Amino acid sequence: MPLRLDPLTRKKLRRFRSLQRGYWSFLVLAGLVVLACVAELLICQRALVVRHEGQWFFPTYGGILPGRTFGLDYDWETDYRDLHTRLKSDPAACARGDFVLLPFVPYGPIENCYPDQFFKPRPPDFARRHFLGTDTQNRDILARLVYGFRHALIFSVWFVAGVYGLGVLLGCAMGYYGGVFDLLVQRVIEVWSNIPFLYVVIIVAALLKPGLGWLVAINVAFGWMGLTYYMRTETYKEKARDYAAAARVLGAGDARIILRHILPNTAATLVTFIPFTVAGAIGSLTALDFLGFGLPVPTPSWGELLSQGTKNLTLAPWIVLSAFSAMTLVLILVTFVGEAVREAFDPKKFTLYR
Amino acid sequence: MLLHRLLAVSCLLLAACSGSKDPATQAGSNVAQTPVDNTAEVQAYYATHPDFFVSKTPADLPSDLAWTDAGDLPEIGSPARIRGGVWNERIQDFPPTLRTVGPDSNNGFRNYLLDDYVLRFGHLHPDLAGPHRHYPGLAEAWAVDVPSRTVYVRLDPRARWSDGPPVTTDDVWFMFWFYQSSYIQAPWYNNWFGIGENYTRVTRYDERTFAITLKEARPDLLARVLENAPVPRHFYREAGPDFVARYNWRFIPTTGPYVLTPAEQQRTLTNRNFITFERQADWWANDKRQFRYRFNPAQLRLRVIRETPTAWEAFLAGELEAFGMNLAEYHYDRLPDSDSRVTRGLLHKTTFFNDIPRPNYGLWMNTARPLLADREIRLGLQSALNWELVIKQFFRDGYSRLHTPSDGFGEMSHPTLRARPFDLALAAEHFAQAGFRQRGPDGILVNVAGTRLSLTINNGYESLTPVLVILQQEARKAGLDLQIETLDASASWKKVQEKNHDLAFAAFNVGVEPFPRYWECYHSKNAYDQAFLADGVTPHPDRKVKVQTNNLQSIALPALDALITRYDRSESLDEMRGLARQIEEILHEHASFSPGFVRPFYRLATWRWVRFPENFNVRFSTDPFEQNLHWLDEAARPPTLAARRDESKSFPPSVRSYEQWKARE
Repeated sequence: MPLRLDPLTRKKLRRFRSLQRGYWSFLVLAGLVVLACVAELLICQRALVVRHEGQWFFPTYGGILPGRTFGLDYDWETDYRDLHTRLKSDPAACARGDFVLLPFVPYGPIENCYPDQFFKPRPPDFARRHFLGTDTQNRDILARLVYGFRHALIFSVWFVAGVYGLGVLLGCAMGYYGGVFDLLVQRVIEVWSNIPFLYVVIIVAALLKPGLGWLVAINVAFGWMGLTYYMRTETYKEKARDYAAAARVLGAGDARIILRHILPNTAATLVTFIPFTVAGAIGSLTALDFLGFGLPVPTPSWGELLSQGTKNLTLAPWIVLSAFSAMTLVLILVTFVGEAVREAFDPKKFTLYR
Repeated sequence: MLLHRLLAVSCLLLAACSGSKDPATQAGSNVAQTPVDNTAEVQAYYATHPDFFVSKTPADLPSDLAWTDAGDLPEIGSPARIRGGVWNERIQDFPPTLRTVGPDSNNGFRNYLLDDYVLRFGHLHPDLAGPHRHYPGLAEAWAVDVPSRTVYVRLDPRARWSDGPPVTTDDVWFMFWFYQSSYIQAPWYNNWFGIGENYTRVTRYDERTFAITLKEARPDLLARVLENAPVPRHFYREAGPDFVARYNWRFIPTTGPYVLTPAEQQRTLTNRNFITFERQADWWANDKRQFRYRFNPAQLRLRVIRETPTAWEAFLAGELEAFGMNLAEYHYDRLPDSDSRVTRGLLHKTTFFNDIPRPNYGLWMNTARPLLADREIRLGLQSALNWELVIKQFFRDGYSRLHTPSDGFGEMSHPTLRARPFDLALAAEHFAQAGFRQRGPDGILVNVAGTRLSLTINNGYESLTPVLVILQQEARKAGLDLQIETLDASASWKKVQEKNHDLAFAAFNVGVEPFPRYWECYHSKNAYDQAFLADGVTPHPDRKVKVQTNNLQSIALPALDALITRYDRSESLDEMRGLARQIEEILHEHASFSPGFVRPFYRLATWRWVRFPENFNVRFSTDPFEQNLHWLDEAARPPTLAARRDESKSFPPSVRSYEQWKARE
């Protein structure tokens, strides 16, 4: 069944596509997201395909394959790069057709790539496939960037979901019920907004083992207020319209009126804020990681890379360059998409935004 | 840190609100506060404890005392030293207080107010091992009477406080009043100096002669008396319930060489970027043996530089005289021996192997946890932790392995015990013994009950987190999952003190002491509320872990308790040595501490104008400036700074390693 969109939405989408900068940014960003989702196929210490003594193995996903699987004398995860060189240099194995297909970058994000050498950042080395070099703990920077991006995305998704859930719910309720309820919640929001977010994070990080869940929770707890005000005004506006009154006359309950009638009509506001919320989420996660209050070690993260980079500005400029460029690129893309969405959803075709 | 600063700020605000003056404005002048005189209170206290504060006449002194002034000990420092110059040093924060006791006082700045700069009655000679090695500071001579557990001390008649009055036995009595007082809000001092705790009597014979009697005649009898610093009676006349606020910004008169002048205190009201101590030109100990070649710079300028990279840049710009190079990154990457500033002799690099009790970095296993209660698992852990790789990769081979929790005590450390090396086969064997035979899909061992072999490491050292990442990644090979929980230092320590840890990555920092302490860390009293049943051997079925103690392993062994009790009561160093070795062997067998690493040296880079004695430093020194042996050759400063940007100029380079005290394997 073809996707049936109402003509207004179709118009908005057409308009979005016609905004070249935003549209292309969207495509690039979507590409990056897909890439991050299947990062294991491109950047991973595990091999994509192993053919060993006539058997096929696909180690990328699933449990570990211990070294013994491939006739090596250990029980921990196979070192596929080592297996690769072993099979290549073994004529018997070659004759059997045994081979190892490694991903494009054969390193994991928390793997020490120089197991028998000092900890020291090393510059990009194309022959060893460290395209962006290694960090202060001998880990591949490209791998950390990509997997760090994935964590930032997961964080953003949860953050947006949380902020929108809370913000929309409370904002709508404030606008719809108005009166004392509205006044009360407004005061609560005013008080709540004045709690210094960073200090709360520092205190919580000092007391609890920081994890993705906690970070999302804290960020949502202090990030939902902004949206309520937009939703409140939107709901006030929509509530006064005739269709809302008509629904009420027909006997619809509050929940039905809010969810079925008012909410869809405020979608434009909601959608235009999403990209900026995402940008904010990535920014704050990076900032927290930078300050050391973010994800637990050794989770790959941009903030941690940036922090390493700034400590080694002169010794290893490639660290800060990679992290900074990646972050700037993604944030710019998100902002471009955001601008285009805002413009596409704007009922006035010609505005002063330009 | 930030939190502390926040609290400090809020305290300031509260103080401001409560109507009293902002502490900062009190710095220079104390006129704002109502004068109080506690003389009557102090005298009454002395009177209510007549058995502790005893007054006698010089005629009562035993006639057969063997007085000594330790004049035959070699002198520290170099006669070649030059006095004068400004010594620039970095501090991380402006001090939150000028008190040396009470809230907020136990920070790095106390070092300048007390630890390294104030004279005690006597000091441990930092170059000699063995007993009888104190040299006089404020004392002129002393005599020990072991049977009566008493040390007699005669004060140096020259000894003076920096604000004028002489040091007298009044200040010695007052020291006990002060440290026993609840006004100072310092429970540790209250306890240590408490009546009958360590000291049982302090006797005054005249203005200059006193005796202190201890509860037990331990081998460190002399140290426990001589290594105290008297407290200025005349200065603390106003000490009362508001002591903490009243004395927060008053500079305590010192018996040491450096003072904070009222003018400087006034200046710091508006500019807190640095704080300068002046050397008193007429310091009373200027020509005293053991002191005349030390404390050479005329000024100590402590600059507030928060970030280490910023401090490094300040050092390279010639704004700091020296920089600690203990981190491999600085020693090898930021200023390698091949750097032109080193080869041209502008900067000198020095490595000095010292000989001190080592901070025992390692993993402390909480045996009260179900998994770690099993000795086989602990043994497996011992073999699954790759400290060798940590030393190789993170410390670049410079550090060495710690072997027991009490390394570096010379004869008192165990001579032959060795930490267990990384051995995956052995680890697998031990884990199998404990029932962990199968690997799960993630490669982690699982027992028949389905329990994963997963443990959490508590970590409070953010800068050392890579160490734990190495251990974690290596342990995976053994099928052991280690989760790293890095928290803020004080929060992490709190968690460990609550015994809420599986494995704690921690170290006890030990001062230069003659022998290790065991009771705090290993006695069952510090492990459980009621460790054993009435028979003294069977573990109590309902015992509860005791919190807020240093027994991080929850170790409770009757045999160990007996040895520790004997050790703590022993009055013979030889007997203690034998007991210490037995204790260490039991601990090794118990396998609940995985010894980590030791830094057997300190490294530093200095500008060319900074000079040290011929042997560089003393054997028992934790850092190069502790004994203040260095001096400044100010004449060398301008040409050196001028040569910074002129590649053609060079001086004789100096990259040296002093290995006279390096341990031989």
